[in-house]
Amino acid sequence: MSASHTPEETKAALHEVVTEMYDKIVKGEPPTMTLPVRTKNNIGFDEKLGVYKYGKKRSVRDATSLGSAKQLLRALHVVEFIEEMIDAGKSSTLREMYYISEGWGLGKFSSQNESNNLAEDLEVVTKCLREDFKLRPEEDGARMIGNLTLRERNRRGEWMRINARDDVGDSGYGVPYNVEEEKIELLEHDINFIMAIETGGMFDRLIENGFDEAYKCGLVHLKGQPARSTRRILKRMSEEWDLPVVVFLDGDPWSFRIFASIAYGAIKTAHISEYLATPSATYLGITAGDIEAYDLPSDDLSTRDIDALKAELSDPRFADGWWQEQINMMLELGKKAEQQSLAKYGLDFVTDTYLPEKLAELGLA
Amino acid sequence: MAGTAERMAKNQKQVAISEFFEKNKHFLGFDSLTRSLITAVKEAVDNSLDACEEGRILPEIKVKITKIDDKKNIIELQTEDNGPGIPKRSIEKVFGQLLFGSRFHAIRQSRGQQGIGITGVVMYSQLTTGQKTHVRSKIATETSAAIVDIGLDTRKNKATKTNEGRELWENADGTLKEHGLEITCRMKAKYQRGRQSVYQYLRMTSIVNPHADITFEDPDGEVHHWPRVTERLPRKVESIKPHPHGIHLGTLQRMCTESTDSRMTSFLYKNFSGVSSRAAKELLAAAEIQEKAKPKTMKPDHVRALLEAFQGERMLNGKVVKLLNPPTNCLSPIEELLIKKGLSKTIDSRFVTTMTRSPTVSQGNPYQVEVGLIFGNGMAADKPVEILRFANRVPLMYQQGGCLLTKAIESVDWRQYGLDQAGGRGVPKGPAAILVHLASTNVQFTSEAKEALADNGEVMDEVRKAMLEMGRGLRKHLEKKKKMVKVQEKFELVNDIIPAIAAKSAAILDRPIPDLAGSITRIMGAVIAESTTVWNKETKQTDVAITLFNYTSRARAYTLLASWPEREGAGMEANKTGGRKEATGVWAWKLETLEPGQTYTITYSLSGLEKGDWTETDIFYRGSQEVIGASKMDEKLLEEIRRQEARTEEDQLEDVSDQQASEAEASSEAPPPAQENEQPKSSGQQTLMGYGSDA
Repeated sequence: MSASHTPEETKAALHEVVTEMYDKIVKGEPPTMTLPVRTKNNIGFDEKLGVYKYGKKRSVRDATSLGSAKQLLRALHVVEFIEEMIDAGKSSTLREMYYISEGWGLGKFSSQNESNNLAEDLEVVTKCLREDFKLRPEEDGARMIGNLTLRERNRRGEWMRINARDDVGDSGYGVPYNVEEEKIELLEHDINFIMAIETGGMFDRLIENGFDEAYKCGLVHLKGQPARSTRRILKRMSEEWDLPVVVFLDGDPWSFRIFASIAYGAIKTAHISEYLATPSATYLGITAGDIEAYDLPSDDLSTRDIDALKAELSDPRFADGWWQEQINMMLELGKKAEQQSLAKYGLDFVTDTYLPEKLAELGLA
Repeated sequence: MAGTAERMAKNQKQVAISEFFEKNKHFLGFDSLTRSLITAVKEAVDNSLDACEEGRILPEIKVKITKIDDKKNIIELQTEDNGPGIPKRSIEKVFGQLLFGSRFHAIRQSRGQQGIGITGVVMYSQLTTGQKTHVRSKIATETSAAIVDIGLDTRKNKATKTNEGRELWENADGTLKEHGLEITCRMKAKYQRGRQSVYQYLRMTSIVNPHADITFEDPDGEVHHWPRVTERLPRKVESIKPHPHGIHLGTLQRMCTESTDSRMTSFLYKNFSGVSSRAAKELLAAAEIQEKAKPKTMKPDHVRALLEAFQGERMLNGKVVKLLNPPTNCLSPIEELLIKKGLSKTIDSRFVTTMTRSPTVSQGNPYQVEVGLIFGNGMAADKPVEILRFANRVPLMYQQGGCLLTKAIESVDWRQYGLDQAGGRGVPKGPAAILVHLASTNVQFTSEAKEALADNGEVMDEVRKAMLEMGRGLRKHLEKKKKMVKVQEKFELVNDIIPAIAAKSAAILDRPIPDLAGSITRIMGAVIAESTTVWNKETKQTDVAITLFNYTSRARAYTLLASWPEREGAGMEANKTGGRKEATGVWAWKLETLEPGQTYTITYSLSGLEKGDWTETDIFYRGSQEVIGASKMDEKLLEEIRRQEARTEEDQLEDVSDQQASEAEASSEAPPPAQENEQPKSSGQQTLMGYGSDA
């Protein structure tokens, strides 16, 4: 399965956006751009794909106010820019595009957030990926360690065979921004499951303690909210190698959202959830129950935390009983805990006791 | 050794005067090195302004500060004016005598109510550096200027003169100076920048003296210039006699002692305002003093009794003796338009509103409140607004928090007028400066330092009322600005963005650029009025352009109306569209039908104004479809204005020849219609009139 489109497909899809505006003007109406509503109120579970996708709600951005008219003009500039890149065989980062927009006069962006959002808008409308647009994020992908082997095509176009245990240093294999088949091929592995880890500190702890070898697993460092490429490669490994994915995060409302973006799809990228989400992923910890069961050092929930938890209660991705229970439990407890709080019982506690116990529950150890 | 002895002897002679200075320096304004310099500048500049005012001369004042010895904090101060100068024989009197020319009998609004005058500067210079003050004075009737070094004989409280002479005084361009005064002195002092600085003092002075041209060269050699913005001199202030309600025991005692009148009745009648000969008799009767008694022979008990009669504590037949109010023509307000100019020249900003209240009387003292508010760019939006306080045109720079004027500002809830203010009390925050001026024959300060006004309920009320009125003006301005921003956005949308979208989409699709008219009509769906009011440097006129855009799909017909400063003497020039006068200050144009997509522009120029006099034109319309950027004409209000005009015209017919008088009348009377109908409609009235006279 590939998400990519050919340059011709991409251009044709972009032209549809432009045609919508042009035709409206010809008809004597304000130009418009129609796109799905991108909030939690417009995501729903797709039975066929097993992930959350945008629903049917559409919003029309029309040029009757200065702000949205400028958005349309910017979109046109971006379309033109993408076409130029496709034709020239170049790519640029979103940040570069933001700076290039300085030359777009009335169509220039006033913040990078704006240009990032617009790139996403275009993805959503055209159903293309930003890789098709030749736009790269600055965010770098994750780090991986474990006995798994893949091929990556380097800048010279040659395939390099890399084993993420034997051919890498302590920092592991760096996942590139493009992890599609033309760039990465998954070859073979000798692991039983993949563990995605939120913080670098815990990732390094597990490596130092030799957890990947002891438990025959691949470790992936998420770096907080995981980049698209991280989610994509998790998904590919899970599907192509048929491996379970467990997710080990801090125990707070934000970690719940990280998990949801890995397992069910992120709200912002729900248009491509089927490429990014790994529905079989399991939340390992830290759960609200763990905080009590292991008597972990914890912090009180802040008002922001509480608001986030309450918002999650009405998020369709957390609608199932287990999550409702987890969220309510955390609200009741009024506490949150970090992964590193396990160090209370010593550096080896996490690898000797906590993880084995948790994995045993899942039948993975 | 003899030198030492002499020096010691000299020092001993100076003990008395040094002690006087030392003991009183905090209220003489010489308590710190920084403040001493400000005080010195203040004394010199106030003198210059007063002298020019009395001589009916437009002041040109130069102040120069030079650091002589940085380590020892020795500074040279030089001030120069173009005032009438001082005759040679009077120089020593003016510069060398403490409390020269104190005016106990001449009650009028004057600057020189503060400090001990220029003599203090001479004394301070001599005490701190041993240097004499160099004076150069030129009067119009002599060809050469008198020069002299003035020192003080501290024993005799008299000036000492050295190096007397005469010289030709040349201006920088080589011409001879006609008249003026230059003072050069060296003193221990420190030059500082900031809120309390010579710079700030001069800046504030220039705001309330728009008729003055002030140049300041600071110790770094940087030259600051505040140009004159009006050729009009402040109204000449008349001196009035004290009013019984405002007099203190000591003053009354002194007046009695110094009086040469033979009878108490004539003493009261002649020396006080508001006292008729009948009232004089009644006052004496109430105080149980013989009418024939000689003022000189009054015993302290008598004086006290008389004061009690003045204040209504001693009554006649159970009734307080009735006195007339003192006249108020002794005050010289700066007047709204001039404050506006003064503010605009020192603060570069967009919106200025000013207000001069009518003069009133508190405790026997006439007083008048003036306020100004400037708002907009160039000022910090997140800091407290700048408060500019003045008493009788003198800047008050210290003790802001304890001043009545500040308290009045703080008591207003500025949030409703568009400024930030925590809890609706205190100094508001925002890109604004607020000016308050109190003109009075007797300014009451909290202390001898004369930097903060003492509490007074009546004055407080007046200031508050003025603030509220000004606040309403600010709110209206902000609302208007918001509307204009919206209109501007729409224009940018249809004039720039939509064409760009059309061109770009056509280019990407490789198709022809489509016609935009339909889209634009759909987007705007309105008739829009846009106006610009700009000063034309070349013609010295204010150019106004009003454009009406029909962005609807139907033809529209309107009558447009605009406010213009007719009352202020402006003339309407080059008005090609013609039209007619609707009322004073309101012009109307009946426009031909505007087809969809059509625009029409009216242009005219206003003559007889100065730069900054007229910066905003209010546009009104008559017609069924709303016009964005204009207000629907309130016909009732217009009717009211016409009726009011008819009345004032009748009044003014009696006195057309004397323009000065009719002006004064307009500013002191001009009853706004708001006083008749109870609704607070006066702000609507003001908009039509632009800066109305007094509301």
